[in-house]
Amino acid sequence: MPKMSISVNGQSQVPPGFRFHPTEEELLQYYLRKKVSFDKIDLDVIRDVDLNKLEPWDIQEKCKIGTTPQNDWYFFSHKDKKYPTGTRTNRATAAGFWKATGRDKVIYSNCRRIGMRKTLVFYKGRAPHGQKSDWIMHEYRLDENSTSESNNMMKATSVVVIGDGGQEEGWVVCRIFKKKNHHKTLDSPMSTTTNDTTSSLLLDSCNDGALDQIIHYMGRTCKEIIEEDQEDEDGMGMGMGAGRLLHPIDTSSVVINGSGSYLDGRFSKLPSLESPNSTSTHNCYQPINNHLGPADPMIVSGYQLDSSSVVSSAPHNWAAFDRLVASQLNGQVEVSNMIYYSDQLPTTTTLRATTSFSSKSSSSSYNAVVAAPTAPQDYNNVDTELWSFARLSSTDPLCHVSDTTI
Amino acid sequence: MAAPHSHNFNLPPGFRFYPTDEELVVHFLHRKAALLPCHPDVIPDLNLFTYDPWELDGKALGEGNRWYFYSRKIEGRVTDNGFWNPLGRDDPVLSTATSEVVGMKKYFLFHLQDADAGPLKTNWIMHEFRLADAAAAVATSSSSSRRRGRPKRDYSKWVLCRVYERDEEKEEEEDGAELSCLDEVFLTLDDLDEISLPNRIQ
Repeated sequence: MPKMSISVNGQSQVPPGFRFHPTEEELLQYYLRKKVSFDKIDLDVIRDVDLNKLEPWDIQEKCKIGTTPQNDWYFFSHKDKKYPTGTRTNRATAAGFWKATGRDKVIYSNCRRIGMRKTLVFYKGRAPHGQKSDWIMHEYRLDENSTSESNNMMKATSVVVIGDGGQEEGWVVCRIFKKKNHHKTLDSPMSTTTNDTTSSLLLDSCNDGALDQIIHYMGRTCKEIIEEDQEDEDGMGMGMGAGRLLHPIDTSSVVINGSGSYLDGRFSKLPSLESPNSTSTHNCYQPINNHLGPADPMIVSGYQLDSSSVVSSAPHNWAAFDRLVASQLNGQVEVSNMIYYSDQLPTTTTLRATTSFSSKSSSSSYNAVVAAPTAPQDYNNVDTELWSFARLSSTDPLCHVSDTTI
Repeated sequence: MAAPHSHNFNLPPGFRFYPTDEELVVHFLHRKAALLPCHPDVIPDLNLFTYDPWELDGKALGEGNRWYFYSRKIEGRVTDNGFWNPLGRDDPVLSTATSEVVGMKKYFLFHLQDADAGPLKTNWIMHEFRLADAAAAVATSSSSSRRRGRPKRDYSKWVLCRVYERDEEKEEEEDGAELSCLDEVFLTLDDLDEISLPNRIQ
C-alpha cells in the first residue's frame, strides 16, 4: 500500500510528536467545506475512500499519514444512495456493513450549528446476523443550509461557491477507529497506562451527565422522537400509526436506531455470507421466560420483528407494513394487563412487565413480555437495566407505570 | 520566553503535538539527555521547575490543555502553593518496535498546601518521563537508593513532564478515538436488538 507522503516546510514527514488530530470543527469547517467546494486543500492528508469497496482494516492502511502510529484514520467518502428514490444510504462492504447507532450529534462552531455527526458500527457478515466489531466510524456532514452562508465566511479561501449542488453529491468526512474494550490503553497520548491509583483517578467512565442524558433521551415522548426520526436522513418514514402503536411495546427499533434492525431488507440483494450464529445472545432471554412462566411466552421484540420479517420480503413497501401493523393492532388491541414493579432504583432494579394483547380478528392471544434480568448475573451491565427501565417508563399512554420511584 | 504553542509550526489545520509516551522518551528526552539537537525544538527547558501547574501556560509547550517541558529530576517538587505527590507505581515506556523498555513514567497529583486545611487534592496530573538508561546508571552508582527511585540531585538527569488538568467534561471531546458513554449505551441497545431477532411469531 502506498503511504501518504507529506511535505511540510521541506520536511518529508510530519515532525515527531505531531499527529493529525483535528477537532470536529476543523474537519467540517476546513476540510469538508473545502472538499465540497472543490477547493484545494494544502496537504492531501484526507483521502477519498469508497466505503463500499474497502473494509475498515483496509482503510487503516490506505489512510496512513506519514509513518507515525495512529489511533484513528480520516477519509472523505461519497454518500451513495442505494435506491434512487430513497434517502437511506448503503454502507455495505464485501465483508460486512456499517450500521448507524445512537442519534446524530449536532456539531457547533462558535455556537452556530454547522453539521452533524453520525456514529456507525461495523458488523461482519450480513444483516440481520452481522457480528458487531470494534470498528467505529464517525461520519460528519455539513448542514445543507449552512453551505452558502459559511462560504461567505470563508472568503479568504473559497474559490467557487458550489452551494447545494456540491452538497447533494454527498461528500462526508469520516473518522474510523477501533473501540477500546478496556477503556484507554497505551499508544494514545491522551491515555494513561493502567496504574492502580491513577486509573481510578483518571478514568472514571460515565459521569452523571451522561446518565442524565440517557434518561432524558429515553423519557421523551415517542411522537417527538418519531418525528425527528423521520427528519433524519436515515429515518425510514415509518408511518405514525405504526410507530405510535409499536412504541409501548418496543421502543428500541423504532426510536433508537435510525436504521435499526427492522431494515432487514436493506441488504437482501447482497450475496449472502456465512453468518455467525447468534444463539448465544438469544439465550439471554430464556431464563426470563421461564421465570415469568406465562403460557405461550413471547418476547415483545419478537412481535415487532415478525412485522419486520414481512417487511423484509418487500423492503420498499412501507404502506404494506403500515397496513399490517394496523390490521393487527389498530383498534383491536387493548392492553389488558400491564404490571410493572420496581423494587429498587434503576441501577439495581428488578423490572418485570407483562402485557397481554388480544386480537379480536385472529382470536389469538399474545402474552408479551418485556423483562429486565431478574438475576443480576444475567447482565453485568447497568446500561442494560437502565434501558429496560426507560423502555417501560416511556411516556406513552398505553404504558402504565406504577410504583415509579424516580 | 515566548509562549510556545504547537500551532505555530505552520502545519495545516488539525495537526497537533500529541506525542506518544514512546515519542516523548525516544525523540525528545533521549536527544535532550544526549545533548543532541531536538528537531523540532519545541519543548522548553524549565530547569528545576517550581511553577504551580496553572502557571505553566506561556512557559511550557501548550497543546490543548496539556503542557510539556523538560526539567531536572528532583526529589519532591514543591511549588509556591502546593506540591506534587507521587501516585502509585511507575510504568515502563516500551518501544513499539522492540518491546524494549526505553523509559519510565511516573505519575503525580498536585496538592494544594493550605495552612488551615492541610493538603488538598486537585485535578492536576503530571506524567514524569525518565530514561531507562538513567535508572540503570543510578543503579550502578548507588544500588541502595535505586529501588526507592531517589538518586541524589543530579543535574545531568533530565526528565520530561506532561502536565494537564483532568477535566471530565472535556475528556470525551478531546479524545476523539473513544466512544462517549452515551454511544456505548446505544451500542448495548443494539445488542438487545440482536437478541430479539430470532424470535418471531409462529
